[in-house]
Amino acid sequence: MKRIAILFLILLLSFPAAVLAEESYTFDVAETEKKPYHFGGYVELRPVLNVLDKDAALYQLQYYRDPRSTLMEWNGRFQLEGSYEKGIGSVFVKTNTDLRYSSFANGNERTAIFDGYGTLKPSPSWKFEVGKKTLKWGKGYAWNPVNFIDRPKDPYDPDLPIEGYIMATMDYIRSFDGPLKTFSFTPVIIPVYDHINDDFGVNNRVNAAGKVYLLLYDTDLDFIFAADGSRTARMGMDFSRNITTSFEIHGELAYIRDYQQQFLDANGTLQSRTQNVVNSLIGIRHLTTFDLTTILEYYHNGSGFSVVDMNNYYSYIRQGYNRYNSTGNSQMLNVAQNLATGGYGRLSPMEDYLQLRLSQKEPFDILYFTPAVTVMFNLDDQSYNITPELLYTGITNLELRFRAGFIRGSRDTEFGEKANDYRFEFRAGYYF
Amino acid sequence: MLKTIVFFITLLMAFPVYALDGTALLKQVDRNLNPESYEMYRKLINVEPDGKKKEFTLFSVKKGADKVAALFLAPASEKGRSTLRLGDNMWLYIPNVGKPIRITSLQSVVGGVFNNADILNLDYAVEYDVARVEEGGKEYILHLKAKNKNVAYDQLKMWVDKGKKLPMKTECLTEANMLIKTLYFKDHKDFGGGIVRPAVIETDSPLYKGYKSVMIYAKIKKRSFKDEVFTLTYMPNLESLR
Repeated sequence: MKRIAILFLILLLSFPAAVLAEESYTFDVAETEKKPYHFGGYVELRPVLNVLDKDAALYQLQYYRDPRSTLMEWNGRFQLEGSYEKGIGSVFVKTNTDLRYSSFANGNERTAIFDGYGTLKPSPSWKFEVGKKTLKWGKGYAWNPVNFIDRPKDPYDPDLPIEGYIMATMDYIRSFDGPLKTFSFTPVIIPVYDHINDDFGVNNRVNAAGKVYLLLYDTDLDFIFAADGSRTARMGMDFSRNITTSFEIHGELAYIRDYQQQFLDANGTLQSRTQNVVNSLIGIRHLTTFDLTTILEYYHNGSGFSVVDMNNYYSYIRQGYNRYNSTGNSQMLNVAQNLATGGYGRLSPMEDYLQLRLSQKEPFDILYFTPAVTVMFNLDDQSYNITPELLYTGITNLELRFRAGFIRGSRDTEFGEKANDYRFEFRAGYYF
Repeated sequence: MLKTIVFFITLLMAFPVYALDGTALLKQVDRNLNPESYEMYRKLINVEPDGKKKEFTLFSVKKGADKVAALFLAPASEKGRSTLRLGDNMWLYIPNVGKPIRITSLQSVVGGVFNNADILNLDYAVEYDVARVEEGGKEYILHLKAKNKNVAYDQLKMWVDKGKKLPMKTECLTEANMLIKTLYFKDHKDFGGGIVRPAVIETDSPLYKGYKSVMIYAKIKKRSFKDEVFTLTYMPNLESLR
């Protein structure tokens, strides 16, 4: 009797597997029918724990009124998008709401239209667009020195969506047989007035920019310019090419005329210098037979600060911190905070960086699981940030990511003076 | 003596015909699978050992020998992504990332057993030479060799239905004869316009033990496109072709 019961149990347990083995797959044609409209969205919860470095200059700048050893942040993001298409015309809108709560900054919320534009496509060769959008020029993974128009992306999370600018743009595409397979031209007009792109640069200007793209001898080539206007004139080029099927090389070169930079001298006096600068990037992307992807990029930021500039800034913060502790006067720290928003607080403020990212797709046969590690190395002061991460996308429309940040460097170095020593972040994002 | 001469003449005549037959057969297999230029809808299903599934719906277009593009329609997390192949060049466009990035044929934009070369497949005859043909009872066995190092699989061993001139099974092998995956062609269906072909391709791989991926075809239609559709600049606009 016991044997029979065990046999039935085995049969019951094996039943779903047997059904699966015989399963026939169906694909309902109705799933492919196109609707003129589309609605979708994304919702995200992202708690972050920061372990703070009380001796760091940027800690002293940020937390001088409210000292603490850790900071827990609760971040949320909500995006909605919709489109409507009729004939050769379509419209697309994407809104973004960021929510943030921490015991330090309390709660704040910001909602913006990230994209909102109308498109006319009279033929595959022509496209006209007007509205708010991003261009995403450049070939680099972490940085794009030739992306003259968009807001800068986060080199620690380069795939995050960014808010666009209001512009008018056009694409003209031609294809050919022979070594030159594709030619396209994208001119752009960006107006800057009160309440229209007013954070882009100098007000009351209409800015012109453009990009010529060529697929020439199996190499992607872009030639990019932005004329003098709200920002000084700049030009550049980028390329990308597969050397082998699993080895890609890319690069960018940008030249900016009359770049103006404010900096602190050794006496703590604000100075300004104007110079022509060259920003560049060279990188590789490699895939092994066992699915390990390596991305290695070197970035030269000619418009960045030197080691001396940064030391002067850190020294100024320390003086301000000491003055605040002895007199309660926070004037120097207020100046330093303004300078942070003016350049010192950029995500890559210095001149030379190396980023290495290794990601292993589906190790140990775990489908949709990708562990990765990213090392950001500041070549000017030898400080670094190591970010291991675990990504799982196995549940339809759900993305789970855990990241840790180990931020290392001696005093007076970029990562040594960051406000935190460690950072732990969990992100759960759901698409609908 | 006469018999010997006849035998040699027959052999001489048969040899080039046999060699030609392999290439012609492969080209016929290609045409029976798809028109040279087409649009199609596919569903990709990755099945894990515990039966858990993840599905992707794609709209694909192809022109001529070396131009293919595919647009993800579902799930919501992938919607709007598109891939483009021009010969050996492949790119992936992700709406958030914005710019198309170069990808390789051995990577997989969907995870699972199908890689990019399987999803953005060109005609077999474009990428492979027929090294040898074996004749069995109901099938031919084509031994295919990649034309260059850029092709995803160095060798293919393809079982072809003699009557229908359609593949039944294909083994994908490395240069050292290591099996990477096996494709099984199933469920012959009339798609209209004279296209009768397998509606399901299943694949498994010794590299992914217990996992299975399935590609189901819903609509295949002959259609011509302008070359400009198959460009990086056009990648964000593929939806307008539907």
